[in-house]
Order: sequence, then structure tokens, then C-alpha cells
Amino acid sequence: MLGGFLAAIYALPFAVGMMSGNVYYDLQWLNDLVTVMMSGMMQGGVYAMFAVGLTLIFGVMRVINVAHGEFVVLGAYLTYAAFNTPAFLGISAYVDPLVSMVLTLPIAFVIGYTVQKVLLNAVVGGPELTPLLITFGLGISMINIIEWIFSTDYHTIPYYPDSFQITESIALGKNKVISFMMALFITASVFLFLKYHRLGKAIRATSQNAEVAMVCGINIYRVYLITFGLASALACAGGTLVSIQFGFNPETGLTYTVIAFAIIVLGGRGHYVGAFIAALMLGILENLVSFLVPNGTAMVEMASYGTMIFVLLIRPRGLMGPKID
Amino acid sequence: MESRETTRNLSYLGVLCVVLLIVPDQVNVYYRSFIMFTMMYVVLALSWNIISGYTGYLSFGHVLFYGVGSYASAILVADYGWNWIPTLLVAAAVGIGVAIVLGYPVLRLKGPYFAIATLGAAESFRILATVWDDVTHGGEGISLPNVENSFSTYYAMMILMIVTILVSYWIAHSRFGVRLNAIREDEVAAAANGINTTLYKMIAFVLSAVFCSMAGAIQANKTLYIDPDTEFFILVTITMKLMAMLGGKGTVIGPILGAVVLYSIQEVVWVAVPQAHLIAFGVFLILVARFMPRGIVGFFVDRGWARKGMVH
Repeated sequence: MLGGFLAAIYALPFAVGMMSGNVYYDLQWLNDLVTVMMSGMMQGGVYAMFAVGLTLIFGVMRVINVAHGEFVVLGAYLTYAAFNTPAFLGISAYVDPLVSMVLTLPIAFVIGYTVQKVLLNAVVGGPELTPLLITFGLGISMINIIEWIFSTDYHTIPYYPDSFQITESIALGKNKVISFMMALFITASVFLFLKYHRLGKAIRATSQNAEVAMVCGINIYRVYLITFGLASALACAGGTLVSIQFGFNPETGLTYTVIAFAIIVLGGRGHYVGAFIAALMLGILENLVSFLVPNGTAMVEMASYGTMIFVLLIRPRGLMGPKID
Repeated sequence: MESRETTRNLSYLGVLCVVLLIVPDQVNVYYRSFIMFTMMYVVLALSWNIISGYTGYLSFGHVLFYGVGSYASAILVADYGWNWIPTLLVAAAVGIGVAIVLGYPVLRLKGPYFAIATLGAAESFRILATVWDDVTHGGEGISLPNVENSFSTYYAMMILMIVTILVSYWIAHSRFGVRLNAIREDEVAAAANGINTTLYKMIAFVLSAVFCSMAGAIQANKTLYIDPDTEFFILVTITMKLMAMLGGKGTVIGPILGAVVLYSIQEVVWVAVPQAHLIAFGVFLILVARFMPRGIVGFFVDRGWARKGMVH
């Protein structure tokens, strides 16, 4: 059922492309297609990173953080600020975005930690819609604070604009490849942290059963704080990697919230490997849509949204979620 | 007792009606518009309340009905030369259609999933309005023929508001409303007691869509210019949600009170500091969700300052 559905959803952009004459059957077009799919996969790697953050929050606290996309945008703006600081001080140099992560990730961690401490710790375990409203309000405030400081203009960070030539006619932007590698590295470190570190084990224990974890001597409120901080740092890292590839403005956050949510729905709630695979799939699908469908760049958001709705209806547990909900 | 209370409440509504009928001739255009927009937000808050307050399905994308209604009306007026009053009916019909098509899949989702799905739906409609430029004029928006309409839109909005209040009141006091509340409290138990939950949720969703889209249509004819970014602006959803929650969701008087209070505050603050008012909205939403989940009305009832029957 799911396989058929996924085949259908991937066939759809091709069908639309054929009808509107965007599909050609020559070598050039095939090369373009491969390029598009590969860059989609690279993009998916970045999505995976912040989607894992959202999965983490959901898995541990059963809270859906609607402000997650805003944390991504926050990361992009922190990077932007760091990038331009030397120029602002009159030095003709730029801070490398990847280097600036050393600074921005701890900042995002502290912000996430504080948010959890001040706003969310008191409502975890209560009615499930209260945290939703709280994070929604938080998101709105964040968007407008960023707008206040940086205005609503689109910003970009120029970063390795040239590309790797893979074959004669397939080329990938260096910034995409670098972001993908970085995203893989960070995601893998988080997996290892969750798997082997003491604190990672405590986080997993809390997400499996908070009460039993508490009985075993885990301070679950501390785990909540660290989880939210970690997830915010992941979102922030996602923001850095987004900022060196795409333009961003304060209101793009909503898009990333929907994308991250679509990924955790498709991957299976609270399932990290599922989220990773789903992110790659969604990245490819998005790029196919923007490549094949006329007016596709505007329709990209529909890809994640449509996938989410249909997965929720057809197979609510997603690719790899637990059988019983 | 019950009927006495109904009579009393209806007479309050009658007094309000008379006051609103007299007022527009006495004041200038600014105040007339101000009252008209306050009434619009009363309609929006009440309509959000029908699906989210009574039924407990928190919609995060109600602006889409507002936007769809305003587009339906504006297209007919600008491109087909209709008089604007009949277009309100078309807007209502379009709102019903969208609610049915959207509600059929989306109302099966629960809690947070419903919320995110509606949020995404509103975004999709905004994109659709931008992309489908043969019909919607795309990103450049639609300008309507310029006419003096502060009286006609005022009365139209007034009638719509009275109807919305009456329908909300009827829902709160009928078996239908009791069933919606049962769905909110425990959907499985409600279904086990023989309530066709899918049907009732759908009716509630459609009802709330109708008023929203008609309010959007009147607004489009008042402001005479619409574009995708303002008509499908997420802030409209937030505003109606915040108003209903501030007043007290699940009651009739709550959203009305919330809309009047919040819109008045907004009008004052907006002029002074445009950016800060949006930040304050977010903070306000957090505070209300955290400390006053049942709103002003709930706050009063809990302290015994108002009887429970009065607030319905």
C-alpha cells in the first residue's frame, strides 16, 4: 500500500511534466534529471538534521514544536550575523559559516534550554494542545523579533558558488556537497550520542517510558531541558546549512516547520532512521516538483504538505513507525 | 428558567442591534470602519470557536476560508461585474465546498495532526492563489472598482454578525452543541453513545467555514484591494484564535468579548509601534494558553463573579 502510494507520488511530477511538455527524451535532459535528484538528496540531508530535532522533542515529550522552523531561521540569521560581524567592525574578512557554528550552536542550545525551562516544562504531560499553542505563540514572537532586527528582506550568504564536475554534464554546487557532508556528520554524531552516551541513553529511556525512567533515577525534567536544547541546536545547524544554499527571510520558518513535520510523519513518529530516509525522499521529491512541474518552484511546499496529508490518511505510522500507536 | 435566560439574552442582542443601527449615522468614516472591523473579528472569532471551541479541533488555518471567500467575491466583482451583495452567497457556497473537500480527509486527523494539517492547508491555498494567476491575478492582487461603501459593508457585516451570534447561541443551547461538546471531551465515548462523530464534525466545520468566508467577502469589498499575502495571512488565524481564547473558547460571549477587547487594544497599539504589536501577540498567546486556558469568562466563572448560565 505504502509502496504503491510512494510510486504514485513520485510518478505524479513526471506525469504533470509530460503533459506540460517539460519531459524530453535526450541525454541532456537525463543528465539534468540526475543532477536534480542528486541535489535533492543533498537538500534532504539538511532537512534530516532538523527533522531529527523535531522527532527528538516529540519522542521525549510528546510535544509538537510548531516553532521548530523558526529555530531554523534563527540559525540562519545567527550565521548571517556572524558572517557580517568583521565587515561591520571595519575588517575586510568574513567568518566562515561552518566555523561560526562553534558559536551559534551553543547560543541556540541555551535559547532552547531556556524556552523549555520557562515555558514548556510546566505543561509537558498536560493537555497536548497547550504546548502547541505556546510554541505557536513563541514562533510568532521569534519571527517578528527577527524582522525587527534584520527587516523582512531576503538575505543570502555567498559561499563557494562554484561546483564540482562529476561527469561532463553533471555538476553539483560545492555549497550543497559541503552542507550534505556536514549534515551527515552532525546527524551521525547525534545518533552515536543517543546510542552510547549516558545522557543519550537517559533521553532514549525517557522517550520510551518517562515514569519508569524516573523510577530508575533519571531526572526527567533535566532530560527535557537537554532534549529541547539539543533539538534547537540541531535546528540552528540546519539553519546554517540552509543559509549557505538558499535565500532566507524571517517568514520562511513556517515552510521548514511543515517540511520537518512532513518528514517525521513519513518516517514514523519518534523514529530517527525513518526520519533520515524520509528526509532524503522528500528532498528528492521537492526537487523533482520544481524541475518538472510548470511554476514548480512555487509549488514545492505543496510536495511536503501533500505527502504529509496522504501518509497520515493511508498509513499513519509512516515508513517505520511502531505498529500500534 | 432556561427560557427566561434566553429571553433576556435575546433582548440584550436586540439592544445591541438597535445601538449598532443608530451609531453609523452619528460618527465619521474612521469610527464606522473601526466598528465594522470589530464586528468582522467578532464573526471570525465566533466561527473559529464553532469548530475549535465546541468541538475541540484546534484549527490553525482558518484564514483559508476567509481568503477563499474574499477571492470568490473579488473575482466576481472585478472580472465579471457583479454587484457585490449576491457575491456573498457565492462566497458562502465556495466556503462550504472547500470545507467539505478539505474536511473530509483532514477531520479524520486528531489533535496536533489536525492543527498542522490545517496550517499547511492555509499555506497551500496562499500558494495556489499566487500561482493560479489566470483566475486570481497572482501576486499582484485584485483591485475592485472604487465606490463609497462604508455604510453598505457596515450593515452587511452587522447582519452577518447577528446571524453568527444567533447560530452560535443556538449551537450552545441545542442537542447539537451538546454532541459537539461530547466529541471534544471524548470522541470514542461520543461515538460509542451513538453520535455520528464524522457527520457532526463535518457540520461544525462547514458552519464555521461559511461565516468566515462571508466575512472575508465583505472585507474584500470594504478594503477594495486584495492579494494572496494579506488574504491568507497567518496573522488573521492567530488573531481569531487569540480573541476566542482570550474571551473563553467554547462559550458564546467569550469570543465576542475577546474580539472587542483585543481589537480595541490592537487599534491603539498598532498606530504607536507596528512591530512590537506582533511580538506582543505571540507573548499574549503564550500567556493566555499557559495561565488562562479558559479565558476571561472562565476566569470570572471560577471566581464566582458570573453564573455559568450567563456566559453561554
